[in-house]
Amino acid sequence: MQILQVNNLCKTYGESAVRVDALKNVSFSLNKGEFCAVVGESGSGKSTLLNLIGALDFPTEGNILIDGQNLFSMNEEERTIFRRRNIGFVFQSFHLIEELNVEQNIIFPLLLDYRKPNPNALNELLSLLDLQDRRHHLPNQLSGGQKQRVAIGRALITDPKLILADEPTGNLDSRNSMEVLDLLLRASRKYQQTILMITHNNNLAVSADRVLHVSDGCLTDLGETDKTEGGFRDEKLS
Amino acid sequence: MKNYLELVPHYIRVHRKQNRMSILCIILSVFLVATIFGMADMYIRSMILKTKQDDGNWHIALKHVSDETASMIAARPEVKAFSCYGVLNYRLDMDYTIGGKDTVICGVDAPYVTDIYSGVLSEGTFPQNEREILATSNVRKELGADLGSQISIRDSSGTETAYTISGFMENPSMILRKDVYGVMMNTDAFRSFFPNVTDGEPDDYNSVFMVQFSGHRHLRETIDDIKKQFSLSEEQVTEQAMLLGLLGQSDEGNLFMVSIYSAALLLSVLVLAAGILMIASSLNSNIAGRTAFFGMLRCVGATPGQIIRLVHREALALCGFSIPAALAASMATIWILCALLRFLSPKYFDTMPAFAISPPSIFAGILIGLLTVFLAARAPARKASGVSPLTAINGHVTAAPVRRAANTFFCKVDTSLGIHHATGNRKNFLLVTASFALSIGLFLSFSTTVDFMKHAISVLHPWTPDLSIVSADNSCTVDSALLTELAKHPAVKRIYGRMFAYELPAAANGSQTTVTLISYDDIQFKWGGKYLIDGSVSNAKDHVGTGLIVATPRYNSSSSITTGDTVALTANDGTQNMEIVGVVSECPFQTENGEIILCSEDTFRRLTGLSDYTVIDIQLKRSAADEDVDALRMAAGTDVIFSDRRADNQNVLGAGYAFHLFIYGFLILIALVSACNIINCVAMSVEARRKQYGCLRAIGLSARQLSRMVIAETLTYAVFGGFLGTGVGLFLNRKLFAMLVTTRWHETWSLPVSELCIILIVMILSVVLAVKKPLQNLREMAIVDTISGY
Repeated sequence: MQILQVNNLCKTYGESAVRVDALKNVSFSLNKGEFCAVVGESGSGKSTLLNLIGALDFPTEGNILIDGQNLFSMNEEERTIFRRRNIGFVFQSFHLIEELNVEQNIIFPLLLDYRKPNPNALNELLSLLDLQDRRHHLPNQLSGGQKQRVAIGRALITDPKLILADEPTGNLDSRNSMEVLDLLLRASRKYQQTILMITHNNNLAVSADRVLHVSDGCLTDLGETDKTEGGFRDEKLS
Repeated sequence: MKNYLELVPHYIRVHRKQNRMSILCIILSVFLVATIFGMADMYIRSMILKTKQDDGNWHIALKHVSDETASMIAARPEVKAFSCYGVLNYRLDMDYTIGGKDTVICGVDAPYVTDIYSGVLSEGTFPQNEREILATSNVRKELGADLGSQISIRDSSGTETAYTISGFMENPSMILRKDVYGVMMNTDAFRSFFPNVTDGEPDDYNSVFMVQFSGHRHLRETIDDIKKQFSLSEEQVTEQAMLLGLLGQSDEGNLFMVSIYSAALLLSVLVLAAGILMIASSLNSNIAGRTAFFGMLRCVGATPGQIIRLVHREALALCGFSIPAALAASMATIWILCALLRFLSPKYFDTMPAFAISPPSIFAGILIGLLTVFLAARAPARKASGVSPLTAINGHVTAAPVRRAANTFFCKVDTSLGIHHATGNRKNFLLVTASFALSIGLFLSFSTTVDFMKHAISVLHPWTPDLSIVSADNSCTVDSALLTELAKHPAVKRIYGRMFAYELPAAANGSQTTVTLISYDDIQFKWGGKYLIDGSVSNAKDHVGTGLIVATPRYNSSSSITTGDTVALTANDGTQNMEIVGVVSECPFQTENGEIILCSEDTFRRLTGLSDYTVIDIQLKRSAADEDVDALRMAAGTDVIFSDRRADNQNVLGAGYAFHLFIYGFLILIALVSACNIINCVAMSVEARRKQYGCLRAIGLSARQLSRMVIAETLTYAVFGGFLGTGVGLFLNRKLFAMLVTTRWHETWSLPVSELCIILIVMILSVVLAVKKPLQNLREMAIVDTISGY
């Protein structure tokens, strides 16, 4: 089942002499439960692509369908609510709300929807994130890895159609990076989550089901990864 | 670049946008201070002009002093002008007349018309000998006299003394009001003319000596020295308290002036505090946004002391543009106000310079501007110097750590976060709340000056006439047909008459009293309605046999007659009952004897049998000229007193305009600054969280929710600031009221409800305005741009 469909996406910044084509006719799609990595050099257009898919920015041309719905045919309010309910974000810099504790941060998207979290689901998620004993801690009392786990929890809580992770391990040491990646993989498997992760770490990219490469605004589908090379993943998941 | 501090101008040039808010805050603070001082300076100047014009440019008057002592005092180097001043028939009770009209006679020396009342001589010269006199201008107009004409003063015995007119004086308002003539002789002539005294002392000639000193700096010491040297008692030396007070030379024992100075000082401190808070919060926000920059400076070797110097230099560099801009704006404002005053009351303010420069305003603006900026920059500079070099290395700038989580239990999460944004950082919360509170406190404190104004200046009542035609013997003898005739004159705007029956014997509530009965026509009843305390004006107007009692506690505190009572009046050889149907607080007549009752003309005529008026009052159109007044005077005839009150009214209006303009100008400025302060606080708070808002928007916070969050934060400041400000403001209002009003007029303080409502409405409107622009910006912000550097 197709969750994400990107059609002929173009993004241009500036005009005439300062014109920059950040994305050129990008098209691809993702199926439900697929874990896809986007790799590329700095400035290649990875983040632009992620921002467009996350409806944080507007394309110059083309369209994006998530679960069959065109993001850019909605008005701002509808798009925000759609994003809140269907897209989870995991940022490199965590972007946690300093004024809310771990539990409040995780359930924040639900609170924005004026919904109450299911206590069992929340406990299960906290357990998956290994944050049960940190649930009332404030972000400034957490390590970097813990903060990113909270961010992942916040992305998972609404059971979104798509999770967008922008360099989720960029601010973490190797041990924490592995833990975060492992968590994303487990989530992808356990909740059948579709995940699109940006990274320029090829070692992490090979853990994904599929890898897309962006260079000079053009996207190339590198296809599915060789699962045998990602042995560490199976080992962790087992 | 030779010195690291030279970084400052480069930084300011490049980061103009970031500094815009700080510059605006400095401009506002300096503008406020400079305008306040400038307006106060202009007000004092106008008051000095008015006092010199109305009461004379003299500092002390000496009485019970011999001519010998007087000449010794006059010879002192500090004395600029010295004149004897004697007066005859001031109360019009000595029967001195010119052409049958009462005449006031003064005896003065030449400095009286050249220095003390310098504008009084309109034509001619001061009397050079005992046969010359100066006459008021109405002598020329009414008697057809001219320079060199002979006029005779007739005394009570019928003896006439002839004089030559050597000059004409402006008509003093009292001369026009009383419809009399005034003449002025030199002292020798006056003493020769003075009845029953020969070779007497000044006291015998009802004379005092007026002294004007040169320079204003050491008046106090000079006055004390004169008292000491000539052994003059307090009773012998009368100070012109108003002028001395305005010149800052009032006696320390003058509690009233001391109270005014104390109030001014307190208000200045409040303005200073508001400025410091406003600039400090702006600089704080600026510094907070540059933590990484300061970390980098620390990394490359800057000491905390150098960072402090850098921040101070930056703040002072901002003054380079802000202070001159604010001073220019304040000067322009003052010029506009002065021009407005000259336009509103040209006669009164014609001597006020159109483009006056106010040195106190410029000095205060620069001094307080620099002081405020320096004090305001202290805390941000310390904060900047405390930045860890690590912040530059890891690129991660942390705000003050959050100590407790937001409470999302009671409110929606957006509202809860908004409240938490306001209250999370206790220091910031206190600063912003205090800043809001200070705005309210400042307004409520300054608003006491309105109460002061209401007491300090007399106001024109709606019934105040420009001209009055009064029966010569206060009887009902002014023909009522005259009213109809004068009403036809094109210069007459309104004309209304009153009949008076003085001190009629009366009985009410079982006690005997006297009643002065006054008739009102429809327009006067309408005006009387504004002063109605109880009952109904229309009943008194429409029903014969009814009246309104005037409650004048100042004169008649024991009055027990009120609405519903019946007063038995003895008039027209009989006793008739009158029903009291209402109580009014004021009327155009005051008496210390008995009661005043206002009734319709029908009631008056039925009770007294009289039908003509005692007084006919006329209000003129704005376009009315002196020729119109002359025509009305001619029409009124010579059997009545024709009282011209235009000069008096102009004086009252002029003083009123000046005071209203300055007081309400102050209040509007403070309200404006309060509004700017609130808008500034909210804008800075939103700007400081811009990136966080971007992140929240990315994870699903809608624009509406974001608005709610910002509004909740602003309202939290507003509600707490409102309560704190109201408390502090009312306390200060009460204190200042006691200093400015109670000490002088013994009126007790009451809750300033309207002022409180005004400032709270200003605050609410400011909050609405404050959130409008940032919310619009936030709605338009590109989420990607705001989160990218986060």
